[in-house]
Amino acid sequence: MLSRTAEYLYWISRYMERAETTARLLDVGYRMSLFPNPSGYNNEWESVLSAAGAIEGYKNKYDTIEQKNVEDYLFFDESNPSSVYNCILNARNNALVVRTSFTPESWLAINKTYQEILNLKEKKFTKSDLPDLTEWTIEQVNLFRGSLSSLLRNDGYNFLFLGLFIERADNSARLLDVKYFVLLPKPQYVGGNIDNMQWSILLRSLSSFRAFRWAYDGNITATKIADFLVLNNNCPRSLSFCIQNIVKHLTNLTCSPEKVGRIYNNLKDLNTKIQEEKIETIVEYGLHQFVTQFIRKISSVDNEIHKEFFN
Amino acid sequence: MYQSESVIRNHYNNINDWLDQMTSKVILEKNAEAETHFRNIGITFSTNNETARERIIPFDLIPRIFTYTEWLRLERGVIQRAKALNAFLADIYNQGEIIKANIIPKEIIYKKKSFEPSMFGFSPPRDIYSPIIGIDLVRTGPNDYFVLEDNCRTPSGVSYMLENREIMMRMFPDLFHNNRVTPIDDYPTRLLQTLMSLAPIKCENPEPVCVLLTPGPLNSAYYEHSFLSDQMGIEMVESTDLFVEGKYLYMKTVDGPKRVDVVYRRIDDDFLDPLCFNPQSVIGIPGIMDVYRTGGVNICSAPGAGIADDKAIYIYVPEMIKFYLGEQPILDNVETWNCEKEQELKYVLDNINELVVKEVDGSGGYGMLIGPKSSKSTIDEFKTKLSTNPKGYIAQPLLDLSFSPTLIKNQVEARRVDLRPFCLIGEQAQLSSGGLTRVAMNEGSFVVNSSQGGGVKDTWVLAE
Repeated sequence: MLSRTAEYLYWISRYMERAETTARLLDVGYRMSLFPNPSGYNNEWESVLSAAGAIEGYKNKYDTIEQKNVEDYLFFDESNPSSVYNCILNARNNALVVRTSFTPESWLAINKTYQEILNLKEKKFTKSDLPDLTEWTIEQVNLFRGSLSSLLRNDGYNFLFLGLFIERADNSARLLDVKYFVLLPKPQYVGGNIDNMQWSILLRSLSSFRAFRWAYDGNITATKIADFLVLNNNCPRSLSFCIQNIVKHLTNLTCSPEKVGRIYNNLKDLNTKIQEEKIETIVEYGLHQFVTQFIRKISSVDNEIHKEFFN
Repeated sequence: MYQSESVIRNHYNNINDWLDQMTSKVILEKNAEAETHFRNIGITFSTNNETARERIIPFDLIPRIFTYTEWLRLERGVIQRAKALNAFLADIYNQGEIIKANIIPKEIIYKKKSFEPSMFGFSPPRDIYSPIIGIDLVRTGPNDYFVLEDNCRTPSGVSYMLENREIMMRMFPDLFHNNRVTPIDDYPTRLLQTLMSLAPIKCENPEPVCVLLTPGPLNSAYYEHSFLSDQMGIEMVESTDLFVEGKYLYMKTVDGPKRVDVVYRRIDDDFLDPLCFNPQSVIGIPGIMDVYRTGGVNICSAPGAGIADDKAIYIYVPEMIKFYLGEQPILDNVETWNCEKEQELKYVLDNINELVVKEVDGSGGYGMLIGPKSSKSTIDEFKTKLSTNPKGYIAQPLLDLSFSPTLIKNQVEARRVDLRPFCLIGEQAQLSSGGLTRVAMNEGSFVVNSSQGGGVKDTWVLAE
């Protein structure tokens, strides 16, 4: 496989994953906007922007945080590199180059999405359209992921999934970083109005709202939620699940065992730690520090993948 | 489709019945379905006049049909021509017998920009310079076919031939149950076989590694490049994916360097090798020509193959056929005046109102004059151009291109068409049973180029 092809495949699934994350965040923001806004409470759209890593760009463009502008900035704005529009555009431009390493269905899934978002972008949309837009995005991403199941299980497949899980690990960790304070242990059970909203934001944006209720019995505690999102290997968006899959797709690569070995060595410790650690220990050590280190590690693995395979 | 005013040619009867039973509503729906399909698969193109959204070529639902016997003659004629053009290239880059025999004057060849001096004395595998040739044909009477031009470099359009058939089969399966249409979907397989049969001398691999070299996503034929490499299962590379080391060409893969045996290049000569051609080019592979000349890789088509489809050389193709193959040409040339020759220039200037004047190096329907359809001022403009640069032009009579029924606003109307079939020459010479039919969508227009509002049709060759 061409190095360039591997790189483009890797980025296609990163972009598609990011499109989904952004859409989910928008959905969360939208839900929050329907609830009464307790006085003195932080503007939820602001934390949506932070979690999407778009707060700086947004503030350069707009003076105040308003729903309409946030929606437009996160969904359609061409100047926001992580807007759903840009993610789909970039995924499609990459797919155009590597469609030969795909199934026709994967190409169609991406290109149809692109054609449709061009049409959506031309239309004026109103507030009430947002749920349709986010639902549409998630559907499109699922269509793409589904199409991958008929791919040859070769290195291209593994690069696609490496990209997906690197992106997801990064997205989940960033979200945790923005909201980590919700997960710190408190004397009483979680369940006050504000907390309620806060953890539901976290779970919903990680598409784990209902899954959590099924995964844990009894009362909802901050520690259980933290355990779910950081260490639970059954949760497809937890940090440990992402790491596990990065390791899996990395070691499944058949090309250049020595390159794979070098990257694996860098990742080994984090993987062991996350598989063996107890959530209580992590919280004691400092959830924030843990997440920050995690983000740094993922970024260094990403750099290594680029250096070893794509140059 | 029609023999005369109202008599339908036999082989179009089925299509006529089919058209009769389609309501306008169905036609509208099917048109929309085709457009969506083309957009979804991404068969779009860009023109010199760039707009934000990619364009798709208008697709006409009514197929163009050839009978088996009609096609047999075209097939023989096109293959004959393709063989002669390759023989011509092998000759002028070696002994130059056709020049010694005073059939083609040497100035016409050696002074052309498309003649590549570095090819002199080198013979590519099997002496094939141009393995993929597209011949543009027009029909002016029941059995009168003329060759409008040859395309020996990197003819494009074959993806339309294949996709037009795909969409027709998908939308109108019944048509294919009721008509015996020769399949064309083996073209990519045959193309790959052709390329593999042209492996360079130093290739030891029984299954040579072929790649398709594209200039990149901004090229107007990019869809075709990815389509063909996908169908052939070969890598589509850009020049940055390739590099020369020692006497071989390699591509950069995740496994490390992998040797490449055959390059099906879809970029121009000028951009192949900055060391040999255009030193300003950023999209070349330094040293590839050296590898090529020492048998480490084959480049298809060969650098310098473009001389064979030069509009000034075109005039001599019938002579070439006689000279190299000892045969009579099966397909005729359009009568052509070479403005470079004083007498012919005089004739052109005197009769310019009835003629079509084309730039020797032009393509895509740009920069041509259609005498009978042009205003006096445009004609005067061309007269000046002709007098100052006669070498740059040829002239031909305005051919009465055949009409094909075409759906215009839900009505069947007559529009002019041409045809580009694709010929492959490697171990064997073969013609795909179909081609790209281009149709001038504007009433009365003679210009079928997609850049000038032309459309396309599915092209059927009926089985015996």
